[in-house]
Amino acid sequence: MSGAAGAAMDTITLVGRIPVEDGGVTRRLASLETENRHLRALLIQAHRQADAELLRNARLGQIVASERDASRAEAERIRAESEALDAKHRIDLADRSARLADAEELNLQLRASEEFNRRILWTSTDCVKVLDLDGRMITVSANGPAMFGVANHAALIGQPWAAFWSAPESRAAVKAALDAARAGRPRRFQARLGRGGAETWWDIAVTPIDGADGRPERILAVSRDITELKQNEDRQTLLMQELAHRVKNTLAMVQAISAQTLRNADSLAAAGEALGARLFALARAHEVLLQGSWSSAGLADLVGTAVTLHGGGEPGRFAVSGPDLTLAARTGLTLALMLHELGTNAAKYGALSTPAGRVAITWEVAGPEEARRFRFRWEESGGPPVTPPARSGFGSRLIQRSLAYGVGGSAHLAYPETGVVLTLDAPLSGLVAG
Amino acid sequence: MPETPPEQPVVLLVEDDGLLLMEASDTLSDAGFTVLEAPHADKALKVLENRDDVGILMTDVDMPQGSMDGFALARLVADRWPSIPVLIVSGMGTPGPDDMPDGARFIPKPYEPTTLVRTLRAFARRAA
Repeated sequence: MSGAAGAAMDTITLVGRIPVEDGGVTRRLASLETENRHLRALLIQAHRQADAELLRNARLGQIVASERDASRAEAERIRAESEALDAKHRIDLADRSARLADAEELNLQLRASEEFNRRILWTSTDCVKVLDLDGRMITVSANGPAMFGVANHAALIGQPWAAFWSAPESRAAVKAALDAARAGRPRRFQARLGRGGAETWWDIAVTPIDGADGRPERILAVSRDITELKQNEDRQTLLMQELAHRVKNTLAMVQAISAQTLRNADSLAAAGEALGARLFALARAHEVLLQGSWSSAGLADLVGTAVTLHGGGEPGRFAVSGPDLTLAARTGLTLALMLHELGTNAAKYGALSTPAGRVAITWEVAGPEEARRFRFRWEESGGPPVTPPARSGFGSRLIQRSLAYGVGGSAHLAYPETGVVLTLDAPLSGLVAG
Repeated sequence: MPETPPEQPVVLLVEDDGLLLMEASDTLSDAGFTVLEAPHADKALKVLENRDDVGILMTDVDMPQGSMDGFALARLVADRWPSIPVLIVSGMGTPGPDDMPDGARFIPKPYEPTTLVRTLRAFARRAA
């Protein structure tokens, strides 16, 4: 538009360049010139006005356009908003029904888990109790009355748990565990429950159950019956003590045998030989004892062992007869040592030192029922003529003090020329196992 | 031994095992004591009632044949013959606090013969 206005001005300028010749003409030219300037100014003014008008129109157009854009955006925004609201409602709805389904599912799970727990409690041999913070029983599993030896649950519910533990150390342990649980700490311990005449042992776990505020609200106590375990432990301890006692006793015997052997020996070589033989006899007697669980020994077995040891593999050197008896362990050991001494002596100086010699071992139980007596006899024959020993050795001294000595019986060692004879006579009750 | 008393007292030895009795008896005889033997508590009490020269009592604990065990015998002797010192010997573990009378000594079995002799000599010095 400004280009068009410029072209018009060029045309007017060309008109103004017409040559001037005289005064009249000059004036005429001057007035034309003035008019021309005036017209040009008017024209410029008109152009400017037109331009301003155009500019204004353009601005207005822009405003209108922008206004139109703005309302279109607003409409779009409103539409989007309402769509979003719709979607949100739809989501809310879906969410709500999903939550409902979840809740129902959870409810089912809880019910199943509750049932599961109930079944665990039902099948468990443990006694489960829920206590309040004062230690009173709120819930007790089905086996509770049996555990505490009461008629029914009514005798337990509301009662202080600790009151049922009558043994002082057990009650103290229970109370300490409750204190710990109140302070939020679990505790595990063993306690003894005296119930009438019977005594039971329990392994108990006590745990705090926290409330919503994270502090202990209730206390869970689970007790397991370990009575049998405790009884086994006690039995084992007793067995170990008994074993220790017997080993010590055996070692004391070995010590005495060694000392006695050295005390009475003619030479160190003789002592070594005698000691070895005595300990071997003791070991064989222990084997017989083992068959009786180390608490008794069969007399026939003990005699049989001695016969094997001293018979030299020749049949018929011993004639053995007597009813089998179960002797007390110590009686059995002593008898085995005695038989060993008799056999060794017979092999050295007596009937077993010649091929024709014989030994008869006989015993019997005689006398009335309430005063049974045990009579035992070792009798040698067919050996060289016997002369009584100049001094009493280990064997004869042992015989004098053994078996019959402690139980009010008598032992007699005789040396007739025909062969050594031992007779033993003692109350049976003092010798047999029982 | 410069401290060996000129006259060793009589020891009453109570033991139901013949072998152990024999060896203890020999050990004490060799050490210069006069030894009296009893197989159980009742026989020991008879000896004490019939003699007045018993200076020391040495007893085993587990003696099924008598009417009482060695602990009961020791307490009875401490009560009736308070001047007689008591030595208890056993393989049955350590005695409980109320088992032994005041002043009694305990030696576990098996024991060293020298320990036995030393303990009895100390008793003899105490009694002298």
